[in-house]
Amino acid sequence: MVSDPSTSRATAPDSLGPPGSASSATAAEEAAPRRRPRLHIVVFLAPALAIYTIFSIYPLIESLRLSLFSGNPDGSADFVGIANYARLLGDPNWAEQFWNALWNNIVLFGVHMLVQNPIGLMLAALLSLPALKLASTYRTLIFVPTLLSVVIVGFVWELILSPLWGLSETLMGYVGLADFYQPWLGLEGTALVTISLISVWQYVGIPMMLIYAALLAVPDELIDAARIDGLSGWSIFWKVKLPLILPTLGVVAILTYIGNFTVSFDLIYSVQGALGAPNFATDVMGTLLFRTFFGQQLQLGDPFMGATVASMLFFIILIGVSIYLFAVQRRLQRYEM
Amino acid sequence: MATSETGAVARRGLSAASIHAVLLAYTAIALFPVLLIVMNSFKGRRGIFGDPLGLPVGESFSLEGYTTVLTQGAFGTYFSNSLIVTIVSLFLILFLGAAAAHALAEYRFKANAFLAIYMIVGIMVPIRLGTVAILQLMVDLSLVNTLAALILVYTAQGLPVAVFILTEFMRTLSRDIKDSARIDGLSEYRIFLEVVLPLIRPVIATVAVFSMVPIWNDLWFPLILAPGDDTKTVTLGVQQFIGQYTVNWSAVLAALSLAILPVLALYAVFSRQLIRGITSGAVKG
Amino acid sequence: MATLTLSGVDKAYDKLQVVHGVDLDIADGEFVVFVGPSGCGKSTLLRMIAGLEEITAGTVAIDGRRVNELSPAERGIAMVFQTYALYPHKDVYGNMAFALKHAGVDRQTIDERVRMAAEILGLEPLLKRRPKQLSGGQRQRVAIGRAIVRDPKIFLFDEPLSNLDAALRVQMRVEILKLHQRLRSTMVYVTHDQVEAMTLADRIVVLNGGVVEQVGTPMALYHHPANRFVAEFIGSPRMNLMPARPVGRENGSAVVEIAGGARLSIPVDPAENGAVGDDWQLGVRPEHLAVTAPDAAAGQPGALSGAVTVVERLGGETLVHAAIDGADTLVVKAGGDASLRLGDRIAVVPALDECHLFDAAGRALAKPRRAALDVERPRHDA
Repeated sequence: MVSDPSTSRATAPDSLGPPGSASSATAAEEAAPRRRPRLHIVVFLAPALAIYTIFSIYPLIESLRLSLFSGNPDGSADFVGIANYARLLGDPNWAEQFWNALWNNIVLFGVHMLVQNPIGLMLAALLSLPALKLASTYRTLIFVPTLLSVVIVGFVWELILSPLWGLSETLMGYVGLADFYQPWLGLEGTALVTISLISVWQYVGIPMMLIYAALLAVPDELIDAARIDGLSGWSIFWKVKLPLILPTLGVVAILTYIGNFTVSFDLIYSVQGALGAPNFATDVMGTLLFRTFFGQQLQLGDPFMGATVASMLFFIILIGVSIYLFAVQRRLQRYEM
Repeated sequence: MATSETGAVARRGLSAASIHAVLLAYTAIALFPVLLIVMNSFKGRRGIFGDPLGLPVGESFSLEGYTTVLTQGAFGTYFSNSLIVTIVSLFLILFLGAAAAHALAEYRFKANAFLAIYMIVGIMVPIRLGTVAILQLMVDLSLVNTLAALILVYTAQGLPVAVFILTEFMRTLSRDIKDSARIDGLSEYRIFLEVVLPLIRPVIATVAVFSMVPIWNDLWFPLILAPGDDTKTVTLGVQQFIGQYTVNWSAVLAALSLAILPVLALYAVFSRQLIRGITSGAVKG
Repeated sequence: MATLTLSGVDKAYDKLQVVHGVDLDIADGEFVVFVGPSGCGKSTLLRMIAGLEEITAGTVAIDGRRVNELSPAERGIAMVFQTYALYPHKDVYGNMAFALKHAGVDRQTIDERVRMAAEILGLEPLLKRRPKQLSGGQRQRVAIGRAIVRDPKIFLFDEPLSNLDAALRVQMRVEILKLHQRLRSTMVYVTHDQVEAMTLADRIVVLNGGVVEQVGTPMALYHHPANRFVAEFIGSPRMNLMPARPVGRENGSAVVEIAGGARLSIPVDPAENGAVGDDWQLGVRPEHLAVTAPDAAAGQPGALSGAVTVVERLGGETLVHAAIDGADTLVVKAGGDASLRLGDRIAVVPALDECHLFDAAGRALAKPRRAALDVERPRHDA
């Protein structure tokens, strides 16, 4: 359109000229000598992206791919489409284990949502009260279990609850409840909930911290304004603070959901073993995956079925995350504070 | 003035004393099991069974648990394995993560938004789901039963969260100070090393603790990628030690106490900075 | 010491153009202020001069040499930022010495220059302090010191006083003015505050929407704004504007009629004729309106009658809001002790020589030149 930039510049010296007129058309042509090549961006990003891609993203995709294959005794593999999935969900042996593990995960998630997160919220609310003495000491100490290895956590609770040591019975005796004691970890009916509560004990620090940080971010002036509007104490908490931290509660919920499928393995494996004792009462997706992949006792390990279980887990997590992103997060308005 | 909210709560029947009672009770619940382990690790078998709640003093005091652990198990090796894996992974996560976060926070380029989302996938999807292929990969690279295998996996696992938190934080850094360094003639690399890195120190501690705990405590990958005697980590070592020594409780409790120690020590040193990092808004949802 | 030339400078982010063809010549030793509302492109323009933003099109030249492709450090400029941009992990001395150290200047020269700058700014007792231990004013002084140490060809200031409280701002403004008188360097200064612009500048560049609206000395902009935007932006309190309809010419003046039927005869340049449209506006600054008793104004040309609706007393002066009969409210600057109360009937008399007319496009009708104003303010090197 403009053949000679210099001419157009000369004929259009008016700086008041509208945007998009001759002067911007020349822009593209004169911009030729760009500033230094931006190699540094690549240098900054490449190492992190490489490690992340090779050891996290690629294995994930490869697992999804492997779930479509089946192994032969000679080590080769055949493409079988979704046959592995059909087997996992259709073969009674597999399906029973799968649905049992999934159901147990749901129970686990439910206990965390109903016990861990409300306790976390309550602790955070108490800790964020202004002028509370020793708040930082409480905060620091309550977070300690979160730092411990599940091996330790599992073992100590096993000891505490063990009928052999009798500690729980003794402790309950102090309050006259000794007769109600039962070896909860060993009973099919109570093992899963007991494990869940141990996990709650360990991880309550995380929602507490996240919610606490969100509560601190609520500006003091807003609280002062609410007080002037006649609100006090708990009504400030329910009507002003809580609505403002809803997005954080959403994050806590999705973190609980994801954690419930992964972290639960460690605790259950160290307390109840890979079979989710007693009698699969505490078998979860994590232990099922481990067992399927590596084999256990009479069962042989099968990487392809392992990949299938992992992929199912992937889809389950994806569904949860999608629900969060599209249904929950959109409605939870984030307020600038 | 500042106490007025607590005061208002008090008028509704929740006195400061009852708030402290609730918090104290929960603190006791949180600490009791930990104290129980440490306390009983200094007792002999009889002390543990006879009086589990008693302090390890006088007759019941015994170091036999620690003696057994230090002579029977290869805890020295496990400890150094855990330390190497944790420290090297942590260094890689923090340094490479900070570099990537700096690129994402500082520069406009086409793939920026895409890469940010690409990294977030790693937060949403646990790396364990790729275990089958990770083991395959490590076999192909002849890295099975090496600490390098663990380091690489943990780095990949820790990077997304680190990049996410650091990017958020770096976006809040003053643009002026980087521009000022540019005018002072620093290269983009030196701006990162000499200006940005010192500025992100407060969140580095937070990211470090958050990344470190799952690495130090992990059972899954040591079990799968490096179960050999020479490459066992403390967590795996303790787990197997428990299996072997179910009867020798003082030894098991001593082993557990030793495994708790480094994490608690680090936490004691960094807890102030950790909390400050979290509450500074660096960790957003 | 250097000249700075911008020619046809454009800035665009993707499709969004934020600076449109800026042409500007800045003389050696001149203090030029870019002023405009937020988002007008003034900071972007400064950052392009600094080399912090790529120049989409056009040329930036320092001492006649094109610098588009040079890195900031190679351009021989120094910049003072709004947020001070001090390195928190270095003390005052370290901050001021940093650029020179990086450039490999020898230790003794660095020390001399840092001490010299510290002396100019009264920073000697603070050299060992960290930025955290300094007040806002001290930090900004360190930031300026850091710029001085580099002995740049051009100083760039990006809203350097905006983070300071009002009292400090006035004090630092004077210090910057003194600094310019002492160093006689070329300085380019960005602000949104027209008072800073008026007090500091040899010449002001008024920007709006990425376009230069007018360039001129402070007094030229005040007396001869090129358009309504500049007229309203420069001067405080802002100029009164009211609709005016052109009704004719008489010996060197344009006659306009305002709402309420009053006719005013405003002197305009004889060469000025036939400005666009009927929807003109009349502009007059509060300080060019006088308040009198209604009867005393009888017969004075252009006198308007009205009632007092608001009285703002500032001590030394009083701002009177007067609702003109049948027309809009005018703000009038009166003496500090003016005995006026709400509801008082008053007459408002404009100084017709100081009134401005704007055509329908907002362009000012040229006014007769005053000899005194054609001369730009004497420059220090003159």
